Amino acid sequence: MTVMQAIDRLYNERGVRARELRADGHKIIGYFCCFVPDEILAAFDLVPYRIQGSQSEPIDEADALLEPMACPFARSCFNLALKDRYDFLDGFVAPHSCDTIERMYHIWHSNKPTSFDHLINVPHMLGPSSDAFFRNELKYFISRLEDFTGKKLDESKLRDAIRLYNRRRALLREVYDLRRENPPRVSGTEITKLLVAGMGIPAAEHIGLVSAFIDEVKKRPRPAADGLPRIFLWGNEIDDIAFVSLVEECGAHVVMDDLCTGSRFFWQDVSETGDPLEALARRYLCTHCPRSLKPQAGNRREDLENRFGYIREFADGWKAAGAIFYIVRYCDTCELEGPDLKEYLTDLKLPVLMIEDDYSTSTIGQLRTRIQAFLEMIM
Amino acid sequence: MPFAGIDIGSTMTKVVITDEQEKILASHIGPTGAEHRHLALKVMDETIKKAGLSFDALDFIVATGYGRINVPFADKQITEITCHARGIRFLFPTARTIIDIGGQDSKGIKLDADGKVSNFVMNDKCAAGTGRFLEVISETLGIALTDMGALALSADGFVQISNMCTVFAEHEVTSRLAEGAGVAEIVAGLHEAIASRVVNMTRHLGIEKDVVVTGGGAKNQGLVKAIEGKVGFAVFTPPEPFITGALGAALVGKDFYDRGIRPAKERKKEEVTFFS
Repeated sequence: MTVMQAIDRLYNERGVRARELRADGHKIIGYFCCFVPDEILAAFDLVPYRIQGSQSEPIDEADALLEPMACPFARSCFNLALKDRYDFLDGFVAPHSCDTIERMYHIWHSNKPTSFDHLINVPHMLGPSSDAFFRNELKYFISRLEDFTGKKLDESKLRDAIRLYNRRRALLREVYDLRRENPPRVSGTEITKLLVAGMGIPAAEHIGLVSAFIDEVKKRPRPAADGLPRIFLWGNEIDDIAFVSLVEECGAHVVMDDLCTGSRFFWQDVSETGDPLEALARRYLCTHCPRSLKPQAGNRREDLENRFGYIREFADGWKAAGAIFYIVRYCDTCELEGPDLKEYLTDLKLPVLMIEDDYSTSTIGQLRTRIQAFLEMIM
Repeated sequence: MPFAGIDIGSTMTKVVITDEQEKILASHIGPTGAEHRHLALKVMDETIKKAGLSFDALDFIVATGYGRINVPFADKQITEITCHARGIRFLFPTARTIIDIGGQDSKGIKLDADGKVSNFVMNDKCAAGTGRFLEVISETLGIALTDMGALALSADGFVQISNMCTVFAEHEVTSRLAEGAGVAEIVAGLHEAIASRVVNMTRHLGIEKDVVVTGGGAKNQGLVKAIEGKVGFAVFTPPEPFITGALGAALVGKDFYDRGIRPAKERKKEEVTFFS
């Protein structure tokens, strides 16, 4: 099997590896979003599994229990759970990333309980007390895992896990560095597959896959200059290639992102020195999800710079000619953050196209005209 | 040197042929619709005939509009946003804002001083603020679509229609009728509602003079007047609002040609297939 075939298999048959591991006696813990430290689960020899929905499957059974105006990503995940697509999970962990996920946890817990259900409280305001608060919440999470597994946390295993996941982060950043080329030898569509494939397998296995992928890409010949615009993507869950493929099909290279299925979940390392719990708390709280709020800093311009300066570095470093916001409908935090970010990027002379969509591949074709017109505009 | 633009919209297919001096040689309009898809090629042939040309004489063909994706005889496909901008700017060199009200979607387009698209908004997922909205309600009221605008203008004030969802608006119209409201006043209210919807959408871009209203909606004087009421000044409409997209497409084709771009693949004189 080539590396692309291996990636395709994991991307197309979600949960296939988790099922195999479970058959071998491993315990699989499903979780939402990017606020649950994989390292803690791995230190208990549990397999972390990032829960995704399905953009190609209509939401049906979940609509009997949830209102259709709730986030379609959360509804889709729950819909799959109701249809026993997540029957391989031994545990289910939700962070209080947003209100939808928090409430979703309770509904999931009442309808599809597992032997380990846990909700992690994550502070929304990032201030002087948040790291200490979150560190305590992680301690509580650990004590519950100790009860569940019947063993004490081994701090050296936690440190090993931190090093392992940092290794994966470094490799993923290396993949993203390849996207700096113009034109890049790797497409946004391939990146999406590589990242989603890694969400349901142990880090060590993903590391093997990512390394092989990097070797494969480096062997590719450099393509001739094509003059196509380079696009930066911002938004929330893009766990299906449909949207990214459409943008690339319309004549563009998707080269960088700030998505919770993209750079957001791996960009920063966890410090390998000092108290590991404090390091984890600090790292995971810095995740750039718009659900978190940095305290107001200075005047309007300074405040926007404080909040979005990292995006300017992404856009500059990857030479983006335009930004597309892809927001899964009813994501209040994204929709409320969008206008501020748009103002910031527009001031930097980076054109922005803001799209709100239904988390469904069947409606994505309707976006073609908007995307194509945007690309014609920035060319 | 002739250039053709074909705009395949949701209800009509429009073709314009220009020469290298940007003079319109011929134009033709035919229906699109589910049962008329195969007519796109026919509209093309008709226009070529009107211009007294042959198919092979066309130096560049650009397809635009909702059916632009698979036009086997086009050399390039360009969105209607870019084409409307090019066509309107040709007709109105001082235009900075375009409001396009089509059969199935509506758009606001902002142009910079050079006539380049600088921003746009689009309503493409519901009938609110589109020709379809008026069409549905005209059926409910039993009034010809083409008479709606004049009827709105004849009204003495208007009845507030608060629902922009076409399905709910239909209910609202029925209950207003039951309450005894006048038909003309209701129709005027519908025009107010559409104008409000498209103008507010376009306000996201900042409305700047001159404003041009185009697309099928520009044929409706009641709607144009209602839009003027919202923006607070006179707007312009092209003499033939249906064909501005096709005209723009022909001119975009000429621009490509002028930049040395030539048709890349063989044209097939086949029926148009739709992507959805």
